[in-house]
Amino acid sequence: MEAPQYVAARIQQALAEDARTHELGIHVDVRGDQLFLRGQVSGSEQRERLGQVAHETAPDLKVHNEIKVVDVSEPGEDEHLD
Amino acid sequence: MSTLTDLRIAAVGDIHLGPEVRGEYRKRLHGIEDRADVLMLAGDLTRHGTLEEGRLVADELRDLPVTTVAVLGNHDYHSNQQEAIVGVLRDAGVIVLEDDGVVIQCGGTKLGVVGGKGFGGGFAGKCASEFGEPEIKNFVAHTRSIAEAWKVALKEMDADRRVVLSHYSPVKETLHGEPLEIYPFLGSYLLAEAVDTAGAELILHGHAHKGSEKGLTPGGIRVRNVALPVIGKAYAVYCLD
Ligand SMILES: [Fe+2]
Ligand SMILES: [Fe+2]
Repeated sequence: MEAPQYVAARIQQALAEDARTHELGIHVDVRGDQLFLRGQVSGSEQRERLGQVAHETAPDLKVHNEIKVVDVSEPGEDEHLD
Repeated sequence: MSTLTDLRIAAVGDIHLGPEVRGEYRKRLHGIEDRADVLMLAGDLTRHGTLEEGRLVADELRDLPVTTVAVLGNHDYHSNQQEAIVGVLRDAGVIVLEDDGVVIQCGGTKLGVVGGKGFGGGFAGKCASEFGEPEIKNFVAHTRSIAEAWKVALKEMDADRRVVLSHYSPVKETLHGEPLEIYPFLGSYLLAEAVDTAGAELILHGHAHKGSEKGLTPGGIRVRNVALPVIGKAYAVYCLD
């Protein structure tokens, strides 16, 4: 089985290199069959695209997309922990 | 979207209130009952831990329309008035955890909250151990006994959902942005280990003003640093789906 650190590195690379996302600085963590994405982006569409690319890169993992959309208006959005 | 089974937890740490901002924080809590079921305060409520500051904090939090749970932080200990501060907070209707737990009825759900100030020591592989001078042994033993108390409280608790409230951090990921050299003073992996052993869904902490919001324990429990400078708003809201 591929070590989780290598899976995470592969996903991170895909997020940076995929033309749909080109997003650097997203933190990727793999714990068992769970995949966690963290970081900040400026729009919810980009967040959804990052989740999609991550899913395509590692289709067997359950994606928890915890990427935050930076929102200057108070008090910001709730985070759903599922 | 919130369903009937969602639990909405508002959380903030390090509000560090002082006399010149009297009344300001209370204003920012207006309408919280529409956004959350419970408010959790992750310590460092005051600047210097004086009883005067403690009374001010109690006034800001008095009789809020949502259940309010707090732990103290290191600043709240600075003037050796921590017990008196706990007293005035409790008089104002705030539940204060001191390495113990409380079960809150939220609709049909029993939400268990365990916590306290926590303490430092560092993170696995780069941490202090109970060896050498008594000062070092005491430092590590303090964290160890806190972690043990949390583990017992979590295990004995009869609740549907469990959340841990701390001031110090259980993981280093949420310290990202702080200088590496001070990590041992910002938290301890013993706290994470205890919670991973006993089980919980979320750990909230403060203390690391320059840290980052999101992290994970080695066991996969979500950690959130809710220090006010980190979240940049009156409180963050986390929904347990
Ligand atoms: Fe603080
Ligand atoms: Fe602190």
